Amino acid sequence: MFKRLLWHLLNGNRIRLTVALLALTSGGAVVSALMNLEADINHRLAQEFRSLGANLVVSAPPAAGASAVSSGLIDASVMQVVEPLDSFGGTASPYLYVVARAGSAPGREVVVAGTWLDRVMQISPWWKISGDSSLSRADLTHCLVGRNVSRNLNAISGSTLTLYYRRQTANLIVAGVIDAGGPEDNQIFANLPVVQALAGEAGKVQLVQLSVAGSPDDIRAVQAELQSALPNLSVKPVPQITEAEGMLLHRIRFLIFSTGLLILVLTALCILATMAALAMERRRDVGLMKALGGSVQKVLRIFLAEVGIMAFAGGILGYALGMLLSVWMGERVFGTRIAPRWEVLPATLILMLLVAFAGAMPLRLLGNVRPAVILRGE
Amino acid sequence: MFIRLLRESFIRNPRRKLLTCIALVLGMAVATSTFTVAVDVSDQLAREFRSFGANLMVAPRGDTLPVEIGGVDYRPITEGAYLSVSELSRLKTIFWRHNILGFTPFLDVPVSVAVSSGKAAGASFPVVLIGTWYRHSLALEDGTNFSTGAFSTNPWWRIRGQWFAENSSQCVVGSALAEKYGIVVGDELNVSAQSFGTGKPLTVGGIVSTGESQDEAILCPLSVAQELSGKAGQFRNLFVSALTKPEDAFSRRDPNSMTPTEFDRWYCTPYISSISRQIQEVFPDTQVQPIRRIADTEGRVLTHISLLLWIVTIAALIAAALAVAATSATTAMERRSDVGLMKALGATNLLVGGLFISEQLLLAAIGGCAGFALGAGLARELGETVFGVPTSPRLIVLPIILATAALIVVIGSWIPLYRAAHVSPAPILRGE
Repeated sequence: MFKRLLWHLLNGNRIRLTVALLALTSGGAVVSALMNLEADINHRLAQEFRSLGANLVVSAPPAAGASAVSSGLIDASVMQVVEPLDSFGGTASPYLYVVARAGSAPGREVVVAGTWLDRVMQISPWWKISGDSSLSRADLTHCLVGRNVSRNLNAISGSTLTLYYRRQTANLIVAGVIDAGGPEDNQIFANLPVVQALAGEAGKVQLVQLSVAGSPDDIRAVQAELQSALPNLSVKPVPQITEAEGMLLHRIRFLIFSTGLLILVLTALCILATMAALAMERRRDVGLMKALGGSVQKVLRIFLAEVGIMAFAGGILGYALGMLLSVWMGERVFGTRIAPRWEVLPATLILMLLVAFAGAMPLRLLGNVRPAVILRGE
Repeated sequence: MFIRLLRESFIRNPRRKLLTCIALVLGMAVATSTFTVAVDVSDQLAREFRSFGANLMVAPRGDTLPVEIGGVDYRPITEGAYLSVSELSRLKTIFWRHNILGFTPFLDVPVSVAVSSGKAAGASFPVVLIGTWYRHSLALEDGTNFSTGAFSTNPWWRIRGQWFAENSSQCVVGSALAEKYGIVVGDELNVSAQSFGTGKPLTVGGIVSTGESQDEAILCPLSVAQELSGKAGQFRNLFVSALTKPEDAFSRRDPNSMTPTEFDRWYCTPYISSISRQIQEVFPDTQVQPIRRIADTEGRVLTHISLLLWIVTIAALIAAALAVAATSATTAMERRSDVGLMKALGATNLLVGGLFISEQLLLAAIGGCAGFALGAGLARELGETVFGVPTSPRLIVLPIILATAALIVVIGSWIPLYRAAHVSPAPILRGE
């Protein structure tokens, strides 16, 4: 009996209910698309911000006696501690700086940086290297020069460059020229062992730069983990990047969240309108049912079941559409594949049910219908 | 007659109209607020991005190679070329002068420091003295003052104590240096440039932490560095923070290959390339360069975020349209008996249709205006909460909103009214 009545109700007002279903589907689609994207948005944006370079630096704590130009050196074994923490989904690279002389004797003063040449493009993705950029970490004969260095010292790709520091010399072949649009244009980059030999500081580095992807909380977690693993060194975030990044991400999330909320409110409104009209139309039916002995509870239960079925159907359809929408948005906006998440389905269903029941409030007024008055035709 | 019918329908049955009106107001409010925010948000986000610091650098042309590690230049003052401070006001005369949010000149001088008072008295060491502006009031050619300096281009610098006042004998010591030698606020330093003999006493006003190599240097007013190095009125390089529009395929073209119209369009859009060009035009003896690390990321992130927000806005608009159409359709269906009666009395379809459409349009006008006002308020709140700056409503949105509202209500009520008008009156009057 219940089912028959329900079926009858659903069939009777097809147009109105289609509109309500449409509203629930569209609301559900947008909300589930946003929910699916939300987790990915943060990840994507954090990835985008990695193109700003390193956001954590491990260095020696300030120590008296070290000169101002080359602050305290740390042991290169620190890389063995830092590297396994690669689970942080980032990149780490050591650096050793030396102010050497380059070019034909007596040469000009140039900053020479020793690092891992296979990692430079990951730490500094804004570089453009013309020439050979795929150098291995063990290459002891090649170097990369910044474009200002190349211009000033006539050091083009393929030419040899001589570096002098105190009594050491190093002869390196220029493998490529870096166009960085920044201070690296004025520097020379070689693999760490070469610069360590030049500076006479075997087994030492000056600092380790880390590029960690993730939210500000993730970065703090990695910082804490590293600091506890390296209690004698200083592990600090790069404030230029971390502060602004955190603020920006927070604002964007909030904006998207409020828009999603507004859309939900609108969907509820739509349901409200439809249900209010339905309530008006069904007064006579309700009056009849009550006159025949049906209790208010039974009557309301049928209507709630109707709303519930629509919400369920709308939720499922909305989820399907929403997943398509989020995949399309991922492709279009970020150029990446975003996988649909199954957890979004129950969340969407619950939200749609809440919205539908909120909009169905007017149906409660049907409980107050007095059969005699209605059947008389008033 | 027509007007009377119209007026009567509003006076007699306000309750039915109320639902459509409410739906219209809310729907249009959401549409207005999301639209206003979407339009404003790219500007706001671009401004937020300026907290990453300067995105342009100006250096002298024909300069020798800077010996620079982490932002500190170790060259002796006899090497390299210099720029003149007096020319800086020209930056605020370019076409995009209002997009130049701040600029800071730097003069790095290698000095010897002797601590003359405080706990660390007696310590002596070489260090780089960085002369700059922290908050400098620059007199512009139009008579106004423009406040610029490191507070604008390096906003992440944190100070314990106080920044130096312009032209004073105060300085600020980098945190690593202070910790190394035990220097605190209030200490006196005697600073002398390595090629000049005369020392200058400076008072430590604060300890700064920058997260970069300046933590191992000392910052002082530009005038002090100029005095110590004998380079009066000069500086080495300039960092500029400019509000830019993200680069796209058009802006990446070579300006020399553009037609005059295209060139005008490029020049009059605040791309970083066009702003660089304009700065180059007022400083001919320099090389102006975007700091690609910041500029590239900024462009990419802003483009992506704007796109995302526009898509979300459109979704909100569709939801709004649907809500309004639904209520409009619903209330139109209730009027079937009125339609039947009018037709039975001999009204043509045109008259009946015209009457109801006019009703709906009037509702759309009222609801649209109210919705716009509400939406503008909502947008202000949203802007205030998210960016701390209230988004100002744009009147251009109002006619768009009204037109949209009108279109939606007409479309929404079209089908029910059409059906009602084409069914014979008798069944409707009977109550079916």
